[in-house]
Amino acid sequence: MSSHVTDESSTEPLIETVGLRTHFITPRGIARAVDGVTVQIRRGQSLGVVGESGSGKTVLSRSMMGLLPRNGVIREGSIRYGGIEIQHRSPKQMRRVWGPEMAMVFQDPMTSLNPVMKVGKQVTESLQLHLGMSSSEAMAVAEKAFRDVGIPEAARRLNQFPHELSGGMRQRVMIAIALACGPNMLFADEPTTALDVTVQAQILDLLSAQIKDRHMSMLLVTHNLGVVAGYTDEIAVMYGGKVVERAPTKALFSNVKMPYTEALLQSIPRLSHASHSRLAVIPGRPPDLVDPPAGCRFAPRCAYARDLCRREEPELIQAESPDHTFACHFPVGSPEYHERREELSRMPAPLLGRP
Amino acid sequence: MTAEKITSGSDDHGAKKKLGIGFWLCVIWLTIMACVALFIPFLPLKSPTSNFVDATQGRPPYAPSWTHWFGTDKDARDVFSRTLHGARISLTVGFTAITAGFVVGGTIGVISGYFRGWLDRISSFVFVVLLSFPSLVLAILLTSLIERSLLTVSLVLGLLSIAPVGRLARAATIQYADREFVLAARQIGSKDHQIILKEILPNVAIPMSSLALLGMAVAVVAEGGLAFLGLSVEKGITWGGLIQLGSDSSRTLEDAPWISFFPILMLFLTVLSLNFAGDRLRAFFDVKEAAL
Amino acid sequence: MRFYGQRVALAILLLLAVSMLTFGALNVLGDPLFNVLGPVAGDVNNPDSIKMIEAAKREFSLDRPLPVRYAIWLSDFVRGDFGVTFSSTGQPPVSGVISERLPRTFTLVAMAQLIAVFVSIPWALITASRAGKISDRISTLNAFFLLAMPNFALAVILKFVFSIKLGWTPLTYVGNDPLGSRLFQMLLPALTIGLPVAAVYQRLLRTDIITTLQQDFILLARTKGLSRSRILIAHALRPSLFSFVTVVGLNTGALIGGSIVAETVFRIPGIGSTLVESVLRNDFPVVLAIVMIVASSFVIINLFVDFAYTLIDPRVRK
Repeated sequence: MSSHVTDESSTEPLIETVGLRTHFITPRGIARAVDGVTVQIRRGQSLGVVGESGSGKTVLSRSMMGLLPRNGVIREGSIRYGGIEIQHRSPKQMRRVWGPEMAMVFQDPMTSLNPVMKVGKQVTESLQLHLGMSSSEAMAVAEKAFRDVGIPEAARRLNQFPHELSGGMRQRVMIAIALACGPNMLFADEPTTALDVTVQAQILDLLSAQIKDRHMSMLLVTHNLGVVAGYTDEIAVMYGGKVVERAPTKALFSNVKMPYTEALLQSIPRLSHASHSRLAVIPGRPPDLVDPPAGCRFAPRCAYARDLCRREEPELIQAESPDHTFACHFPVGSPEYHERREELSRMPAPLLGRP
Repeated sequence: MTAEKITSGSDDHGAKKKLGIGFWLCVIWLTIMACVALFIPFLPLKSPTSNFVDATQGRPPYAPSWTHWFGTDKDARDVFSRTLHGARISLTVGFTAITAGFVVGGTIGVISGYFRGWLDRISSFVFVVLLSFPSLVLAILLTSLIERSLLTVSLVLGLLSIAPVGRLARAATIQYADREFVLAARQIGSKDHQIILKEILPNVAIPMSSLALLGMAVAVVAEGGLAFLGLSVEKGITWGGLIQLGSDSSRTLEDAPWISFFPILMLFLTVLSLNFAGDRLRAFFDVKEAAL
Repeated sequence: MRFYGQRVALAILLLLAVSMLTFGALNVLGDPLFNVLGPVAGDVNNPDSIKMIEAAKREFSLDRPLPVRYAIWLSDFVRGDFGVTFSSTGQPPVSGVISERLPRTFTLVAMAQLIAVFVSIPWALITASRAGKISDRISTLNAFFLLAMPNFALAVILKFVFSIKLGWTPLTYVGNDPLGSRLFQMLLPALTIGLPVAAVYQRLLRTDIITTLQQDFILLARTKGLSRSRILIAHALRPSLFSFVTVVGLNTGALIGGSIVAETVFRIPGIGSTLVESVLRNDFPVVLAIVMIVASSFVIINLFVDFAYTLIDPRVRK
């Protein structure tokens, strides 16, 4: 598969999934980590996938890239890249794609980089393998790549080991590795979670700039809504292995529909809050992936849940605009929602969830 | 991230939960060998030193047959009987050696590990010195200087096992001496020796038990090596000695391989059983440890 | 630098301790006089014998106290003078005996170690990448069997199969043969010592490689599109080698012990077989010299193992 498959001007999605299911066989039973996810990402577009741990967001990105092991995993549904079905491709076939077409940036650069290999070599390795460069050509390209991602003294850094670099620089190296062969699709799995707050913004800016320059698509996985706010075109919120709301970024923040998303928004600490005010949290724990509750998976923790919610699982339906979908029986703004809010405001607890 | 850690076909997933049938097979074999070693005078065996020359078969050595299950050697001595007698010395030396090593090495290790300080430094240095010799070389050196009886050979091998046993006991003790239940015991006024006996020893005994089996295997092999070189119990029938007699000349080995091979087989099965059982035991306790 | 200095000092201390122990053991537990003169040593009533005893005592300094004798021996030893062997007529110098035989043992041990390392690394890589599958389980069983076979027994079996029945290797070692043929003659003994050790190495390395393969950077390597063999060799192997290097170094002692057995079975005149012969003949100077050489090499090798760590793991290099 080569890059010319996906035409720059195409409006067809670069990558899409239809009803993707990834189930793990565990001693306790089958864990439905990703349970029917349908998303599309067009060229040059970036999608943020947000959720708590256990929501399935990391499994989603790894499934889409085809990185999961063969044994103990049940795959269903379709994954199409450039119009071609890749769900059931063997690792051998996917290896030609990993690097030149798709790449992933991981969360912790200290453990994701080989500790005993010089960082320059970790970049030139891909260049030599996929683009057939000689080692001197590759080194020159790697040096330029380091400069592009903002690593100072690039030439010297090429010969250093990961432990000699700071956290932010290591993450830049990882980005350089990912972008080395010019992929069209980048999966970023919590790329800033392990970094200092000050560095986080720099890295996100870097990613954003690279994406624009290269007209790349990105899937950005994070548990932090604040991260996706400025850096993605669309956001998909995941809960219990399913997408529960999807909208263009602005619309999600201004016209939130699903109570879980609302709760996530409200749990972001803001400077405007009075100091020492309690952090709003969502009480309870993520659902059991092996034995999920009947009905809506968020119902046990939802402040607005009613009997219907516990009986019937809501389908994804459209909101006011066609690119905004959500799954909720009694979304934000509905009469039942307001009714419940009334009741809650009369109770002493400042938290939104059930006390 | 829990989903990611589910690996396929993981290593001995089921085997760790119980000791397994292999373990019990080894135990059975070892019990048989132990019984042989203990009850040899009462077993209906041919004499190991008599010559059973049979004119009708020509010159010895005779191949295995119904009268001589393992055949005979050049002097027409019954290999089966000699092999079983060999078990006696080899196993006794192995057992005594590791027991002595455990008692002395274990004590030194636990005490050093518990009290630390200059005692620990001295004993650690002694251990390192002992471990600076390849053990066979040291064994050869020591056994050549003494009168080689069952007891002395056992003690020499025991001496050699003091260092490895001591080191493990010390490491295990250090690990436990810092734990909370020891601190708690001290708070309620337990004396040191009480703490050692009641808190530390039972826990240290667990990793040591598998070392006991593995250590005995090493001792049996070491005795075999010494016997092969002529440095084990004098005038005793040992597996190593039998193997050496059967392979001393290429002629003998070529014409009558059974003289060496049956003792080799017995030695191999015994060492294999000790190793396997010791390993199973270690795997069994390892998992329990991790689950605590 | 401090690190290296400390280690070297410790090694020297260790060797001194070893030499004292050995010297002491030989002279206290054994009777040097007896070894020089034979039964004459005990014959205190015969005036001629007494003269011989006195002469021997003067010649070998046996009338001086033990620490003095030790000091004399030590000063000679470090200058390469190992004394004379007791038991041959004409008393040739021990150093001659040793220098003739040491290279053979060295070659044998080196061959065995090379076999062990070069067999165990691919073996470990293959079984680690197929962990849990049938081929891995079979390999584990094989390794177990190999480990349970004492090396003298293995030597006998291999000799039987390859030298006697198949005739592929010669039965004895001939010192005058050309180098190539002598090396070939050492192949079977080297295998005898090296294969069980390879099983030990493989077991350890396999576990370490499996652990390394669970690390995140291996996943990153996969996403670069690297092939499985490349990931194994270029990424997984090196970080897994730490314990391996230690074990290889420490095992040299076991190999030396194994060479004693192999030289005896395959009749190679190296210092291993010489040690056994000398011990059986109570030839103390030879025994002492060989024990010291063996212990010294052991200690020096351990020293190198410590230093080698810094080569493998750049993180330690500070």
